[in-house]
Amino acid sequence: MKARLLTIAGLASILMGSSAFAEPVSLTLWHMEQPPHRVQRMQELLDEFNKTHPDVQVKQEPQSWGEIYAKAPAAFAAGTGPDMLFAIPDFTTVIKGIDAVVPVDDLAKDMEAKHGFVPSTIAPYQYDGQTWAIPVYNMALSMWFRNSALKEAGVEVPKTWTEWKAVAEKLSTDGKYGVGLPANKQLYTDQTVYALMVNGGAADIYKEDGSISFDTPQTVASLQAYGDLQKLSPPDSTSWTWGEAEACFASASCGTILQFSVINTYETQAEADAADLGVAPVPHADDQSESGTISYSNAIMLTTKDEAKQAAAKVFIAWLLEPANYGRFLTMEPGLFLPVTNDGAKAESFWNDPIVTKYKSQVETMIANSQNGKLFGFTTGKVFPSIGAISGQNVIAESLQKMVVDGQSAAEAAKFGQARMSEIAGK
Amino acid sequence: MKRTLPQSVALYSGLLLVFLIIGMPFWWVVSGSVKLPREIIARVPTMFPQSFTTQHFEKLFQSTDFPAYLVNSIGVALFSTIVTVALALPAAYAFFRMRFPGRNALYRLILLAYAFPTIVVLIPIYGLFAKVGLIDTRTSLVIVNIAFALPFSIWMMRSFLSTVPKEIEEAAIIDGAPARVILLRIMAPLIAPGIASVAIFTFIASWTEYLFASVLIVSDARRTVPVGFAGIIGQYQIDWGLLLAGATAATIPVVILFAFVGRWFVSGLTEGAVK
Repeated sequence: MKARLLTIAGLASILMGSSAFAEPVSLTLWHMEQPPHRVQRMQELLDEFNKTHPDVQVKQEPQSWGEIYAKAPAAFAAGTGPDMLFAIPDFTTVIKGIDAVVPVDDLAKDMEAKHGFVPSTIAPYQYDGQTWAIPVYNMALSMWFRNSALKEAGVEVPKTWTEWKAVAEKLSTDGKYGVGLPANKQLYTDQTVYALMVNGGAADIYKEDGSISFDTPQTVASLQAYGDLQKLSPPDSTSWTWGEAEACFASASCGTILQFSVINTYETQAEADAADLGVAPVPHADDQSESGTISYSNAIMLTTKDEAKQAAAKVFIAWLLEPANYGRFLTMEPGLFLPVTNDGAKAESFWNDPIVTKYKSQVETMIANSQNGKLFGFTTGKVFPSIGAISGQNVIAESLQKMVVDGQSAAEAAKFGQARMSEIAGK
Repeated sequence: MKRTLPQSVALYSGLLLVFLIIGMPFWWVVSGSVKLPREIIARVPTMFPQSFTTQHFEKLFQSTDFPAYLVNSIGVALFSTIVTVALALPAAYAFFRMRFPGRNALYRLILLAYAFPTIVVLIPIYGLFAKVGLIDTRTSLVIVNIAFALPFSIWMMRSFLSTVPKEIEEAAIIDGAPARVILLRIMAPLIAPGIASVAIFTFIASWTEYLFASVLIVSDARRTVPVGFAGIIGQYQIDWGLLLAGATAATIPVVILFAFVGRWFVSGLTEGAVK
């Protein structure tokens, strides 16, 4: 282990020490953190890195999640792709499918030894015997509510689906909605439905042999519970994405919602007290003992075949995960991006951020929730290529719509989902 | 002819309906852009602002690259429009007046450009532009915009040319005017509304083009409004005030174009008629 750390340190010293003799290694980083404040924070970090590592110059080129699935393959095919590329698990399968990503086992082992990854954050990138990306931040769905609303209604924070429905019914008064759950054929609905599936014992949508395992009694129960709660949601929730749910919550019109974070919107648009913002694990089925959730571990892939660039990129990623730098990276979106390393979760650079300090208890709960995160298609240790299409075509959300919009039963919706996923997997 | 009362009621009701359909979404966006965040996200919306703030516009123009996106979009849309009109006018005149083998077949064939969904040609165009070093240039967007606007523009322009009485053209020929002079001095002023229509069509198509702009442009500094703005707004957390301010600001150049180009060309048409 020490040898690997020495290797990284050696690479860094070689890159730093040879400045008088060689041109700096130029790296291009594509990420999908486009909002201006994130770009600005990233630039601050890059400026600092470039200054302290004169032999490596990293530049950022922000991209959009909306187009990256088409743009990145085209760029790699044309030879204009980046050297480092941000990823979520299913996107990694796409880039791996075109042979544009290189494994990072050595760096992953070094970072594991030095910082300790939250297991659920690196697991989705480890398959086919190798590690395909280094996680850098995590996002996990939690249940959000207002403490004052629950107190006024005389109810406790729900832990089970039955309790959640009872709370939602109590909160559904005076034109307000006890819950705000989407039923759009869109990724947000995939995420919220899967969050219930995880909590209903239906986390695995693949069997070991790659066949689909969606039509199970657990999935049917999860869809049924979701459908029951969805009836207490605003009528326009069938066309919601993340923003509408957040606005419904921030305006105090929705009593409970599932969201990665509402802190930013709550802070800037709700005009409410920080202490009143409540967050808890996603409630679980009555027959389950603990809560889980859906989590998206975001990572960096190495996408250059040039060995000097690979070495330089590893130096950059190792630098980024250093606790002194890592907290500032995470707080480019305070209260949304969660640490993937054990020492990152304790880093002063993270907890010293004003928003994180203000919402400390909520962020602590979010981090705790994220430890139990899972992602559909990445739960069995084997990854099947069809997950990209199943995710991209929002089949989980489409199945829910069969029930919520078309009036089918939960069993029929699960059957539809099974057939649709099997059709995609069979292609 | 004097309108009866029921006719007047029907007319004004129709006008009101059209105004509401067209004007309401616009009003919603513009009025929302000056509301405080709490009022914007209220579940029960307010038709008229109960609060007033310029904070969203200040943030848009001071804390984001929106001004740069605006400049890029104006440049790309203007160049696309000018070149498209400059190419469509002689091409349409050639299809309208000149005799050459395969004229009718070619005239129908140019609309094949619309037979393919743009997503299908996206990757080949990316590869082609990468080979000639046009990736991440605004020139690439101008080329694409022209390529997609030109066929329909030629069709539109030819239809306008066919409305000009043949006698006017014949008089010019008798006076010895060559084809270039007939086109630019005689026909162009007479079909000014057609040219305006093509210009507006191309400008708006270029102004709102998203797919190619999102893929062919890599660096932030060269992004156009639709793509850059989508990035500003983000995915999981939406700043509604910023979104509405950006949407309002994005419509201003188009409104100016309509006001300016429309008036200028109608004036040109009237002058032509007097002559």
